[in-house]
Amino acid sequence: MLKIFSSFFVFMILAYPQSALSADIAAGEARYKETCINCHGPAGKGAGSFPKVSGKEISYTTDKLEAYRKGIKQGSNSFLMFPMAKPLTDEEIANLAAYLEGAKYNVE
Amino acid sequence: MKSISSNLFSGIMASALIVAMPFAAKADGHDGAMDVPKITSEVVLQGLENPWDMAFLPDGTMFFTEKCKGLSVRTTDGSVNALYGVKGSSGYADSGDDLFCEAQAGMLGVVPDRHFDKNRVLYVYSSSTKYRGDGCKTNFEKCDGNIVMRFKVSDDLKSVSERTDIVTDIQYKPFPSDQPFGDPGAHNGGRLRVGPGGYLWVAGGDRHRGICPQDPKLLCGKVLRVDMDGNAHPDNNPPEGFDKRIYTYGHRNVQGIDFRPSDGKAFTAEHGPWHNDEITALVNGGNAGWDPAQNTGGRGECPDQYCGYEPNQTESMDPAIRAAYTPMSDTRFEDLMPATWNNNGYSQGTGSAAFLKGDNWGIYEGRLAVGIMGIGFSGTPAGSRIDMISITPDGLGINGIVRMPLGFSKRFRGLVMGPDNALYVSVDAGEIYRITAESLQ
Ligand code: HEC
Repeated sequence: MLKIFSSFFVFMILAYPQSALSADIAAGEARYKETCINCHGPAGKGAGSFPKVSGKEISYTTDKLEAYRKGIKQGSNSFLMFPMAKPLTDEEIANLAAYLEGAKYNVE
Repeated sequence: MKSISSNLFSGIMASALIVAMPFAAKADGHDGAMDVPKITSEVVLQGLENPWDMAFLPDGTMFFTEKCKGLSVRTTDGSVNALYGVKGSSGYADSGDDLFCEAQAGMLGVVPDRHFDKNRVLYVYSSSTKYRGDGCKTNFEKCDGNIVMRFKVSDDLKSVSERTDIVTDIQYKPFPSDQPFGDPGAHNGGRLRVGPGGYLWVAGGDRHRGICPQDPKLLCGKVLRVDMDGNAHPDNNPPEGFDKRIYTYGHRNVQGIDFRPSDGKAFTAEHGPWHNDEITALVNGGNAGWDPAQNTGGRGECPDQYCGYEPNQTESMDPAIRAAYTPMSDTRFEDLMPATWNNNGYSQGTGSAAFLKGDNWGIYEGRLAVGIMGIGFSGTPAGSRIDMISITPDGLGINGIVRMPLGFSKRFRGLVMGPDNALYVSVDAGEIYRITAESLQ
């Protein structure tokens, strides 16, 4: 049963590589709060030298994170992103992108 | 509204301090019970864009700046009036076509005159295109682009008038450069405060130009002490040949400055490079020791003539090697003001600082509250926080640091004491908080 389920899961990811269906928004949020929040601020709002990363299409964020993970320079401060993106798995990138697409900042 | 009682903490602190200070504990008649206040916070304003600095009148009226928008005031009934915007802003009673924001630059510090009740004078720091002339063709020219303005505020707090630019020649970085955070507009300092004698203090930054901090004439990388018209305080004592407006030099990026209540001594909090941050007790005419110039102090050539992130701008490396290459406080300077506190190899970014005033702060009264904005680069512990630092009477060291128990963590950009003895704090995310302390004794 587990096997069937996991192969179905793999199928879903392959079939809809950038679909929110395959991504876990809650896991994305949790991952975001581990490191990303220190620069990009709560809910990807952006601040100071750190760009806003919320409200972007999933494909945009995925492409950016994949590029940083490969060490491909994007803007003038990409060196700050390289070490952050390097450890990300495909799944984490999908989760992060899904979370950031709809992340809304609420003052606590 | 958050309410975090720090009882556990107080217990630990109390036992630690009882051991350390048996006589003090007895002397104040509390049998060792330390007065650890209850600290709570609430949002005063939200939805702002990069609120940077605040300033208070005795009745609680609060002026505040938003870096890319302009100057506003929150009146005592809680309503907000937008007073003076930067170019392109909307909804402000008036605006300056020469004022703009770019990366770290924009409308920054604000402070009222000591005699505001009589003269209604308010000072504001901003980047401006008005005085550039043709001196901004490259990053290696003077480029006057940060200014201090003086305004008159109307009695009804709805408008400002009589803008007079009293300091017009603080340097600005006009173009990108080959540096981390290499955008234009880097390192402006920008905090304004009125000192115990009523003079205006202007905290500056090195604007990513190697020669700035140690140059005798350029105002970048300096702390100025001037009068209402921008003229030098007569007692400023910089070295021979220096611009007389300079109180101290050799700074990197001073975003925090305040005066110790017990003796009026000025302290700065500086945003450091990859290997440090510093708090410094200022000495009239002293040198804070930052010298990012190339071909000096044992350094060779550096990218765009700025050694501030060398010898390796973007990769991780042992901070001690960085610190040896371009120290924050270079001991080869005889007039060096040694740091009160340094971040010991960590790069976290100290933003703003304010001494805690009022006995409601209990054992923290008189400590320096400092906003620290750790991004977690290169092995440095991440996390934004406010530290309460107990500084030794001579200003040359610390007794200890306690993290303010807030229950949340944001990029704490501006810290100011209000007339109600609460600490007001602006965060990059867009809020201004009021942090109150309540003595439980
Ligand atoms: C040390 C600070 C820092 C941390 C931590 C950090 N980032 Fe970034 N991030 C940056 C900077 C600076 C840029 C701009 C880089 C450039 O110039 O290419 C950036 C760019 C990005 C971009 C591209 C934005 C755009 O529209 O161009 C995305 C997406 C992003 N970060 C997501 C993340 C995620 C997800 C995390 C956590 C895994 C994270 N960042 C952690 C500093 C950081």
